[in-house]
Amino acid sequence: MTALAALEGMDRLTSGEALVAQNVAFAIMAITMVVAALRMVTTRNVVHAALYLVVVLAGVAGQFLLLGAEFVGVTQVMVYIGAIVVLFLFGIMLTKGSFGEDDGVSSEKRLMAGLVGLLVFGVMAAALVDSFEDAEVAREAPSTTAEVSDSIFSTYIVPFEAVSVLLLAALIGAIVVARKD
Amino acid sequence: MLLNQFLLLSAVLFSIGVYGVLARRNGVLVLMSIELILNAVNINLVAFGAFRATVGGEVFALFIIAVAAAEVGVGLAMVLLMYRNRRSIDLTAIDQLRG
Amino acid sequence: MAVDLLTLAFQRPHIDWHGIAPELVLLGVGALITLVDIVFLEKARPITAALAGLGLLATAVPLLTLAADGTDRVMFDGAYVVDEFSLVMKAIFLLSAYVVVLLSTNYVAEGDYWENEYYGLLLASVMGMVMMASARDLVSIFVALELLSIPAYLMVAWRKRDLRSNEAGLKYYLMGVFASAVMLYGMSLLYGVSGSTMLDDIGTAVAAAGSSVPVVTMAIVFIVAGFAFKVSAVPFHTWAPDVYEGAPTPVTAFLAVASKAAGFVALLVLVLVAFPSASDVWEPLVWILAAASMTVGNMVALRQTNVVRLMAYSGIAQTGFMIAPLAVAGHGGGSADQALSAVVTYLAIYAAMNLGAFAVIIVLARKTGSAETTSFAGAFHYAPGLTVAMTIFLFSLAGIPPLGGWFAKFEVFRVLATAGEPWGYVLAAVGAVNSVIALYYYAALARRMWADDAPDGDHAPVPMTPSLASALGICGIVTLAFGVAPQLVARFTDVTLAALGG
Repeated sequence: MTALAALEGMDRLTSGEALVAQNVAFAIMAITMVVAALRMVTTRNVVHAALYLVVVLAGVAGQFLLLGAEFVGVTQVMVYIGAIVVLFLFGIMLTKGSFGEDDGVSSEKRLMAGLVGLLVFGVMAAALVDSFEDAEVAREAPSTTAEVSDSIFSTYIVPFEAVSVLLLAALIGAIVVARKD
Repeated sequence: MLLNQFLLLSAVLFSIGVYGVLARRNGVLVLMSIELILNAVNINLVAFGAFRATVGGEVFALFIIAVAAAEVGVGLAMVLLMYRNRRSIDLTAIDQLRG
Repeated sequence: MAVDLLTLAFQRPHIDWHGIAPELVLLGVGALITLVDIVFLEKARPITAALAGLGLLATAVPLLTLAADGTDRVMFDGAYVVDEFSLVMKAIFLLSAYVVVLLSTNYVAEGDYWENEYYGLLLASVMGMVMMASARDLVSIFVALELLSIPAYLMVAWRKRDLRSNEAGLKYYLMGVFASAVMLYGMSLLYGVSGSTMLDDIGTAVAAAGSSVPVVTMAIVFIVAGFAFKVSAVPFHTWAPDVYEGAPTPVTAFLAVASKAAGFVALLVLVLVAFPSASDVWEPLVWILAAASMTVGNMVALRQTNVVRLMAYSGIAQTGFMIAPLAVAGHGGGSADQALSAVVTYLAIYAAMNLGAFAVIIVLARKTGSAETTSFAGAFHYAPGLTVAMTIFLFSLAGIPPLGGWFAKFEVFRVLATAGEPWGYVLAAVGAVNSVIALYYYAALARRMWADDAPDGDHAPVPMTPSLASALGICGIVTLAFGVAPQLVARFTDVTLAALGG
């Protein structure tokens, strides 16, 4: 059951009204995310950039809910917004002597980067539209957390264990590198 | 919902992330732009997962979130180390190495 | 909500303990080192290096029993495979890492670094590589790549008070994370095309879709670019010289050999298992990468005055040679198998000769305190043995018979020439011209060590330690063995992938 399907009159994901509601929700979130992402890469204030990043990340979590991936959506909120953004804010706080360094970026460099970005988007959009045309995301029932966990603990057990080693190694290494001595 | 509306949103985020990586000089901001790209990947994976009705995409996205947390921790540790030694995290000022 | 518990019943995966024994031993040793560090703190410093070295050798034991057993093992729905290719690559990773531990022993202890944690990270990175050799699905490949890269980023910055080391670490980190993000986007498209993360299924889906589907092309370009960064192929090589120069030298040796080999493993597996049918997309890509890496690497190496930077550019050129067989691997009829064997042979020989060269550089730089080529002048007068060893490694890198590098290049040229493709011949010609150019700068460095006089007339003997001597010995023996008796040794690197029906 997705969050939207729990609303009254939206018992079926594919019913007409639910579909309209989903598309409206998608549009609102998508526009917000794109605007926030653009502001994030253009603002001069590093703290504002981190806050715009929060908006994008929350939007991504919303898209996950819309797609019926509730567990991933909640994880997105808890890990990305709850942990990673906080890390970023700590990083910004501890390096605050470096604020304002971006002021001097030459406009040619921005123009070049902008052109590369547009080119990349153009190629990707053309490829995606050509390949997937008007395929529908038509999922009868959203995946359950049980399915996700069954998959992690059978097929993906090796990478799962490896991630725990990775997190420990990153933790130890980051402490050694970041501590004063 | 069309599959492509999610894929195109992800492509926009990816391109904005690429712009950020190329245009910004502050190490923390470059790192944030890379997070945009990773989120674009995650939208792709979850959308494809819904499209194909398999659970692999969601699992992959979860792994990416977990690894991204480790990556950001390591990255900020290194930014901090550099800031402590040089009082700056301006990437264009990396000049000790002849590159 | 009434959930039918029976339909959700969890199927315990079948775990082949013998198959994953190498990883388990490595994990145990890593945990042991971490524990020893926590309990004994600084008092553990003298033994962690020995512990790490022994652990790596102990990991080789289950590898040998698996090789003796000889059956291909497919685990976890095909996500993890133990076949000839993976066993040989694991052996290369473990032996290279063992030599790196030998090289690090005195370097890290004298430099007042964080020693216990250094070896812990090294083992974690090796574990990522060992896992990469068996990984046959996108998630495993991605996690293995990050597990081997993230400790490496940190180890590059391990000389904390040295600004160049910090810069090298940050540069390597940012470019590495960006490359893996781009690669992930390509992987997400592959998942979208096939609906599965298993390389086998992706191979089937890509073959069914045909390479004309634009997203397949885009996915392949993104993935090949991501791994081209990892193996430092031109034009994704710009990080290598700076990072190699700034990092502690044993870490440089580790990156130049083991980390590069791991990138090759993933590239080989993806190209040959996940999209062999789209060879019209990746063959030209690989061709350009190979030709550009050889040419640019050698041209820039010619005017280097720092030995570590010289080795970095020489490594880029060697990457060009290693990747070249893949440019003709898509014709079916055993061409994939031949290319695979050629690359693995090259990787094994390259690991030995490159680690050997770095061992000599570490010893000599300890005396002279600099890695400029001028400070290596006249080494013959105070360290004749080392000079002979360095000459062997340099000439092997240049591909002079009867040294190992010759056989490695011979195999590459053989694959290129027997493919019967005009493009294969052109690439072989590019390689031949580049071998001559490379000989020039390798020989120039050797000549300087033999003929010139030492700077300031300093002829004091070089301090040599048992660990460095054994590292040199291992590298020398492997380099010579491949050159003198190739037919005997090459049996080990003539491998097949289980997925190719080997």
